Amino acid sequence: MNFDFTEDQQEIKKTARDLLSSRSSLAKVREAAEGKAYDPALWSELVELGWPGIAIAEEHGGQGLGAVELAILSEELGYALAASPFLATVTAAEAIGIAGTPEQQAQWLPLLASGEATGTIGSAGGLVPDADAAAVIVLIGEDGVARVLARAEAEVTPVDSIDPTRRAARVYAPPTHGEALGGDSAAAIDRATVVVAAELVGVAQRALEMTLAYVKDRRQFDTPVGAYQAVSHKCAQMLKDTEGARSATYFAAWAADAEPDRLPEAASLAKAAASDGGRDVTASAIQAHGGIGFTWEADVHWLYKRAQVDAALLGGSGTHRARLARLLAARLQPAAA
Amino acid sequence: MDLTFSDSEAAFRDELRAWFEINDPGTMPTGDDAAYAWRRDWQRRLAEGGWAGVHWPREYGGRNATMTESAIFFEELGRARAPLPANVLGLLLAGPTIMTYGTDEQKERYLSPILTADEIWCQGFSEPDAGSDLAALKTKAVKDGDDWVITGQKVWTSGAQYSKWCMLVARTDLDVPKHKGLTYFLMDMEQEGVQIRPLVQITGEPEFNELFIEGARVPDENVLGGVGNGWRVALTTLMNERSGLAFFLQVRLRQLLDELIEEAAERGLLDDPVVADRIGYLHMKAEILRLTAYRGLTTIEKYGTPGPEGSLTKWMWSETNQELAQFAADLLGADALTTGNRWAYELLRSRGNTIEGGTTEILKNIVAERVLGLPRLKGAAA
Repeated sequence: MNFDFTEDQQEIKKTARDLLSSRSSLAKVREAAEGKAYDPALWSELVELGWPGIAIAEEHGGQGLGAVELAILSEELGYALAASPFLATVTAAEAIGIAGTPEQQAQWLPLLASGEATGTIGSAGGLVPDADAAAVIVLIGEDGVARVLARAEAEVTPVDSIDPTRRAARVYAPPTHGEALGGDSAAAIDRATVVVAAELVGVAQRALEMTLAYVKDRRQFDTPVGAYQAVSHKCAQMLKDTEGARSATYFAAWAADAEPDRLPEAASLAKAAASDGGRDVTASAIQAHGGIGFTWEADVHWLYKRAQVDAALLGGSGTHRARLARLLAARLQPAAA
Repeated sequence: MDLTFSDSEAAFRDELRAWFEINDPGTMPTGDDAAYAWRRDWQRRLAEGGWAGVHWPREYGGRNATMTESAIFFEELGRARAPLPANVLGLLLAGPTIMTYGTDEQKERYLSPILTADEIWCQGFSEPDAGSDLAALKTKAVKDGDDWVITGQKVWTSGAQYSKWCMLVARTDLDVPKHKGLTYFLMDMEQEGVQIRPLVQITGEPEFNELFIEGARVPDENVLGGVGNGWRVALTTLMNERSGLAFFLQVRLRQLLDELIEEAAERGLLDDPVVADRIGYLHMKAEILRLTAYRGLTTIEKYGTPGPEGSLTKWMWSETNQELAQFAADLLGADALTTGNRWAYELLRSRGNTIEGGTTEILKNIVAERVLGLPRLKGAAA
């Protein structure tokens, strides 16, 4: 039993943290959000590092690492609040990588791994991240079956979501367009879901750290406000929510490769915990910052906005709690299932 | 990252499971004294099988178990629906503290009877005016020849009525600041100067007691860790308190939740979306507790010091156990509100979970101060 990263994995985490602290500083995130344009230099650098293909098989031009390494990067990009099509692209690659037909994989994975093209996954009717520029869209229908569409096969309508650090769109495609994933759509969606959960963990971690720095510094009544238990206990709760989401998410990332039979439950566990945790922690961050936290000028609102949109992506906590209940009922009453 | 047990951990678990197969603890008898005697007998059987103090070093009769193996022991104990051993305070608190601070004579004298449950231990720390603020305790010890004479009052003393020995912290020097001037004693409970009064809790059971200590005598050789060193020794006891048990508790929580889901299924309630949502929520919380406990274990084993996870699991468990009991009352209605029903018992007993062994408020202080590095408010302590 070793519920911790290997040395290599820790190295990936550290490299990502260091690099993103300068390349995706909050000033740059703000620039991207306010200018409604991603920094192309950031994306080129991520591509050069091979990050979009970190979990794509080597035969398709990726690095052939696993879901844990991908979760690490996703968490760090969430921590940095990076404005880039990374999440959308790697979640599409996860789906096609586990459930695509050999043709679908051969067609799309090398393009996604090399960064020549971006992709995305999302639900018909939901907000689909970065769909406007994606070459390939994995679209989940109401029946839970995912289709692979070239962008030209879909109607993509860009929308301004509440999160201006990431582009979003509504996507519609007639039933005759595209081609269903060859394998199990649920497995494809579950693997993508874990990546979103990991991003939420990073967002929550950043919100906690920004809040701690603020409440240690801000003084009222001649005392740092973080000394008041109304504030310090809120911070303790933020840690509990962040660490709880982290436990569930790391478990799911591990299960995705090591024990895929447990992935359905683990992915829903992770997404339910990370959606709740991400929203609660970022909301608390605004509250603990007081008036300044409610201003456009402070940066905490970017975290809250990202958490809100991520929480809904690939199913919110309510959807995943309902699924957990179904899985449990089936386990306890195998005959009735 | 590897969340499977190693070969040696799996072998440990399998050996233990095989032992539990043959050694069924049976059903707990009714009545407090009978139940206690049953738990005492259970510990004797554990000791005979070499399972009573798995985390103890071999030289003291333990198995030298790793932290993970110790966690496995408590998980399997829960899974076998076996009770905690009667002398759990001796095994988890008194024993390790004596191993750390005891003289050779003290180790020789006290450790073996702890393991076999021949001598039960209780913990005399809290007082009416010293709860979370332990260092404010007032019980006094005055030197008289080769003895110390103890006067004062202790409270929340679990199992005092069955105990031979008490881990007692008393003030031996009134002229120094409150954390200094404390001494840790091993006090014989079987003497005139110690009077025990049961405290009946909201469930109607007397799990704990008040101790009235009036001129009780403790010989000098029963000082543990030196005169005036009581705060440090007491902290050792308290630090031992929360490891291991978390795994027993998380398994018990899991069992309760599974039983509640079965009850919901029998009543045809699983398709109700409100019920399903609540079950999904509690399952998520139970799993987060289990996984966070394992993460904490890895942190201690790998880095030697507990990470933030270690401070969170007791908080998570107590909160979830209360939410579970409250949900049972919503789900089962009148049944769960009728005395004698197990869920009615849980509804009452679980209120103690966020108080016993460190209130949630104190845990939050500890997290804020020691994990998050937030400043301490004047007068408040973690």
